[in-house]
Amino acid sequence: MRIQPWVFRSCSALLALLIWSLVLKPDASAAVDLNTVQTMVAAGKVAELKALGRDVLPVMARLYEASDPVQRTRIAQTFYALGWKSAEAKRALIKDVHTPNQQLRLEVQWALGRVSSDADVVEVLLNNMQHDGNPLFRDKAACALASDQIHLTERQKVRLYAGLIQALGDPKPDVRRIAMLALQIQTGQTKGFNPDAPIPERDAKIREWKQWLEEYKSNL
Amino acid sequence: MARRIQIQLIALFCFLATAASGQTNSSNILVSYSFDDAQLATGPDTFAVFARSRGTVRLNGANRLSGYRSVEIRDMAGDGDFPELQGYFAPRSKGKLFLHFGFMTATPYEEFNIALAGPQWFNLRKDGIGFWLKTREGHLCQVSDSMPKKLFLVEPFVWYVVNGIYDIDQGSYDLVIHKEGIQKPVVSLARQANASNQPGSVVDKFSFIGDTNEDKSNVTYYVDDVMVGIDESIVHLPFVAPGRKKLFIDYWNEAQRTRRSQPGPIEAVGLADFGIRQKQMEALKAAGLWELLLRLINGQAGLSDVPQDPSSDIQRLLQAVGLWGEGAKALRDQKAADALKRFDEAAARVPSAKIYAMNAVLSLAALQQWDAVDQRLSAIYADWQDDLRLPPAMATIGLARQRLDEAEQWLRGPAEQIPDEIGQDLLRRLRSGAMTPELLQQLKLRFPDNWDDYLKDVFVAEQYFLVLLWKHQIVDAERFAQRMADRYEALGIPNSRWYERMGDAAFLLGNFTMALERYEKGLKEHEQSPGILVKLSDVYFRMGDLENERLYREKIYGTIGSE
Repeated sequence: MRIQPWVFRSCSALLALLIWSLVLKPDASAAVDLNTVQTMVAAGKVAELKALGRDVLPVMARLYEASDPVQRTRIAQTFYALGWKSAEAKRALIKDVHTPNQQLRLEVQWALGRVSSDADVVEVLLNNMQHDGNPLFRDKAACALASDQIHLTERQKVRLYAGLIQALGDPKPDVRRIAMLALQIQTGQTKGFNPDAPIPERDAKIREWKQWLEEYKSNL
Repeated sequence: MARRIQIQLIALFCFLATAASGQTNSSNILVSYSFDDAQLATGPDTFAVFARSRGTVRLNGANRLSGYRSVEIRDMAGDGDFPELQGYFAPRSKGKLFLHFGFMTATPYEEFNIALAGPQWFNLRKDGIGFWLKTREGHLCQVSDSMPKKLFLVEPFVWYVVNGIYDIDQGSYDLVIHKEGIQKPVVSLARQANASNQPGSVVDKFSFIGDTNEDKSNVTYYVDDVMVGIDESIVHLPFVAPGRKKLFIDYWNEAQRTRRSQPGPIEAVGLADFGIRQKQMEALKAAGLWELLLRLINGQAGLSDVPQDPSSDIQRLLQAVGLWGEGAKALRDQKAADALKRFDEAAARVPSAKIYAMNAVLSLAALQQWDAVDQRLSAIYADWQDDLRLPPAMATIGLARQRLDEAEQWLRGPAEQIPDEIGQDLLRRLRSGAMTPELLQQLKLRFPDNWDDYLKDVFVAEQYFLVLLWKHQIVDAERFAQRMADRYEALGIPNSRWYERMGDAAFLLGNFTMALERYEKGLKEHEQSPGILVKLSDVYFRMGDLENERLYREKIYGTIGSE
């Protein structure tokens, strides 16, 4: 029987990493040094890295900053898989949040919300979702906002919701669509917002969403 | 994400769930768990228990809303996962569902979550979460229209009973929550939008967990009397509050009704009965043998199903459970010699499992081998002293023994002439209930010719008292206990156990003031005795003193927590 946990999101890269890592035996005795971490990251040994504890995070951040884009992509995937908060990781990753390197950009956008709940992470992803020139990056920034802001408190989500609701009024149809999708994944509802509806109809629904946000804030 | 994906089914050991009380039509009940009495096999149509990492889901006899047990859900922050009790019922896509359950938390500022969900599992979406309660900063909140809304500040160690009418078609619900001891509901809300404000959202499961995301919760909370159905009477079930429908004494009464004349096997109430603790649970999980253990416990597998390849410790553990199952069946079938053999073999494999040895004693009682009964009982007595199951077991042994009038002889005869202090001290310890294998050894050395007579005196007296109670000769039982207490006092022997027994008799007679006085006297020499604490809590409950009822309940929690 399929049993599913409370929180769910599919991510093939993460699954691959986890499955890979689960078939390998952990070696908790390994020291947290750059070479060990580098080897584990390269081999996708997430379970082993987890066994080493959170001390691996600053080491991984240093490694990230010293690596080429291919390695950075792998390290960003690993940060994502670990899902641990880390100021060092966030500081390293956010430098690449505008990189034109496609693979690296996607992994960085996905990983940021899993290493940090800082407001600037949400801000930069909202900005990418609305203003990046590449529709793929916009779309994947919305995915990150929808599913990967795992450390946000209910209070911190106010900024996320406000940004997504504001993006419902974006002139670009794809932005309205992905903003709505992100909001729907976050809240489970659309309140009848149709991104392709005429402006007055959309505005009416945006007002409804804004009222909802006010009520949300009043319950905090 | 590991919390999301690395699901490990490590605990399915549960006992059920008899039907709830009230006037509900059983055909309209989709789910009904009170966690008492008979066995329940877990599975896709009933419920599953996930005790992931260091978190646990287990039966608890000390804190319960009704009956003898509730389920305790205990989460551990930073362990990478969360414990969960998850139940299933046939999907409902229209109409109304009626929901009833009780919860109590020891730690209101630690997060827990309770939800009703559908085929899209525990996500905020259509056919996902429909009804969701959670704690946040000490408050109980409902998640309605995709936002948590504060309901009230939760008090620790207080039972709350939730009644909900969930309208699937409308995507809304009515919610009434009662707090124990208060007539008026603390929450009474109508037409609340469901969790994600989705009309027609299918539901087919419920869940009780710790926290969902951050793994920061150290919650310990209790759940009891879970009912889901399509009959409105479910939400009109009487809140037995302030409290519990059954008290410690009810276990005794029920045992009286069900126990046969021949000694039968004592029932298991937890994994510790089998010597299974966290370490063994993890080893069983790691070896992929957890489900086999559950099937062995539930009688769905036998000794022959135990594989030969696991590490020897685990193999011994599983074999012992298999032997226990065979032994229990043999004892029920009045094949006491076969039963004894099985229980002894089980005990030899896992000496730390207390249930095998007790069942061996009951087998010996059925075989009328009284010297062996007394010797073995003395070796395990300390493990069972505060166990709810001991008094009915002792009464059963007493009934089988028959010649209990010997108990009166000891009272009538002159006090023993024990010249030396060591001998007197040994007898004092024996009679005060401080029975251990070491004491037994010392007794044998000091009294090589008649040590077993002293042992028999002690057991016969206790069994005599319990048989009198069993036969409803409560006044006689009380008088006997009083005389025993007086005699002990005269001999300088701690007599708190006899005061506890006098308290039991007074309780059965309905004299709660007297029961209270005697239990409190009994507690003087056993301040942390969970057995007396639970009885004191029950007496205060019966007297309507909820403050003290709760005080003693909290003390019991303290003793559990410090284990």
